[in-house]
Amino acid sequence: MSTLTVNTLRKSFGQRRLLSIETLSLVAGKSYALTGENGSGKSTLLRILAGIEAPDSGRGHYGAASFDWQPYPDSLRREVIYVHQQPYLFHTSVADNIAYGLRARGVGPGQRERLIAAAIAWARLERLLTTPPQKLSGGERQRVALARAWVLSPKVLLLDEPTANLDAESRQQTIDLLQGLCAPQCTTVVACHDRDLIAMPGMQRLHLVGGRIEQPSTAAE
Amino acid sequence: MSLLDATQAALRLLLSGDPDLWGIVGVSLSVTLRAMLIAMPVGISLGYLLATLRFPGRRPLIVIVQGLLASPTVVVGLLLYLLLSRQGVFGQLQLLFSQTAMVIGQVVIALPVLIAFSLSAIQGADPRARETAVALGASPPRVAWTMLIEVRFALMAAVCNAFGRVVSEIGCSLMVGGNIAGVTRNIPTAIALETSKGDFAQGIALGIVLMVVALGINTAFAFFQGESQR
Repeated sequence: MSTLTVNTLRKSFGQRRLLSIETLSLVAGKSYALTGENGSGKSTLLRILAGIEAPDSGRGHYGAASFDWQPYPDSLRREVIYVHQQPYLFHTSVADNIAYGLRARGVGPGQRERLIAAAIAWARLERLLTTPPQKLSGGERQRVALARAWVLSPKVLLLDEPTANLDAESRQQTIDLLQGLCAPQCTTVVACHDRDLIAMPGMQRLHLVGGRIEQPSTAAE
Repeated sequence: MSLLDATQAALRLLLSGDPDLWGIVGVSLSVTLRAMLIAMPVGISLGYLLATLRFPGRRPLIVIVQGLLASPTVVVGLLLYLLLSRQGVFGQLQLLFSQTAMVIGQVVIALPVLIAFSLSAIQGADPRARETAVALGASPPRVAWTMLIEVRFALMAAVCNAFGRVVSEIGCSLMVGGNIAGVTRNIPTAIALETSKGDFAQGIALGIVLMVVALGINTAFAFFQGESQR
């Protein structure tokens, strides 16, 4: 089982130190709810873990490999998937959006078609296939983005406020999908304020305060 | 000859399939299309790199490119003339007064337009597009291709703009092409020549062709843009 660990992670914006994390270990197969006030650095931490943003300093360890963020290792980029709070869908079809990561990984057409069909069925996107992605509602976009992540079977899945700004029905659909999103060995980190997400079975809580992670505890605590 | 008479004569000339007139149109389109085929990949790639890479001297480089947008084509022609003339650095290539020289000139004129507009298009794209491509594991070339596809309509506008600038430029074509009948005489240089001779019919006929080409390209662009927003 591979564990993603970060040590002495520092990130500042101007004079403001946003993140100052001595050690954070994300155990394979575990789910974490990353909580904290608005502006506490939740999104920045997820973006750093995903290799979209670089910290000022810090080291990471994943499996047997050790790395810093300059450059972010390609092997990790293939296994860590980040989903934006407001997912961006490419200006193509829903199916092509789901296929994007598979194409990037060189998955052949036959297998790709099977995986896309499975992802469409998993996220119940059948009715949306002919709708241009830019015409989809926030909840529908979130489902396409989750299907796009699910189809890649990530080892680490980073979700940034997946239920924010959704109506009640879309929010519930998203929570239902999240419960079946990860394979057993997948580590999930969900930045959120949503009590229902924090209270999901098996969810451990990581609380960001003053740039530091408070001692992980179970959601119930 | 009144404007109405000249226009009627121009239409007759066009419809009669006059070989001299259509030969001039052929030279114009051939030179401009070759120039655009060379300038498009280079200009769009450089625009992308300028938008995404951070390196010392990037800001001054952008200012220079944007400044070159307003460069007079006759000055480009003059510089190219000096380089290609017998005493010039590239004089031994014997390219002066050839279509190749006109193509080179039009590439030089089109490049700043394509670079500046591509740069602007990429910088104006939603930053999540790039981040999403990266987060989904795309390699740098795939990320670049994805970004260009995402801003394709802005790039088409850049291409239309560059095409319009080079197909109608006269200064550079006249200086390095020499306006040789059947070889380097294109629509703008022919219009200038025929007008100076008082042959307004041929000038108007060529002007109509130029307008139809420009309108055709912009109409096609508007159509594709409209299709994308349906």
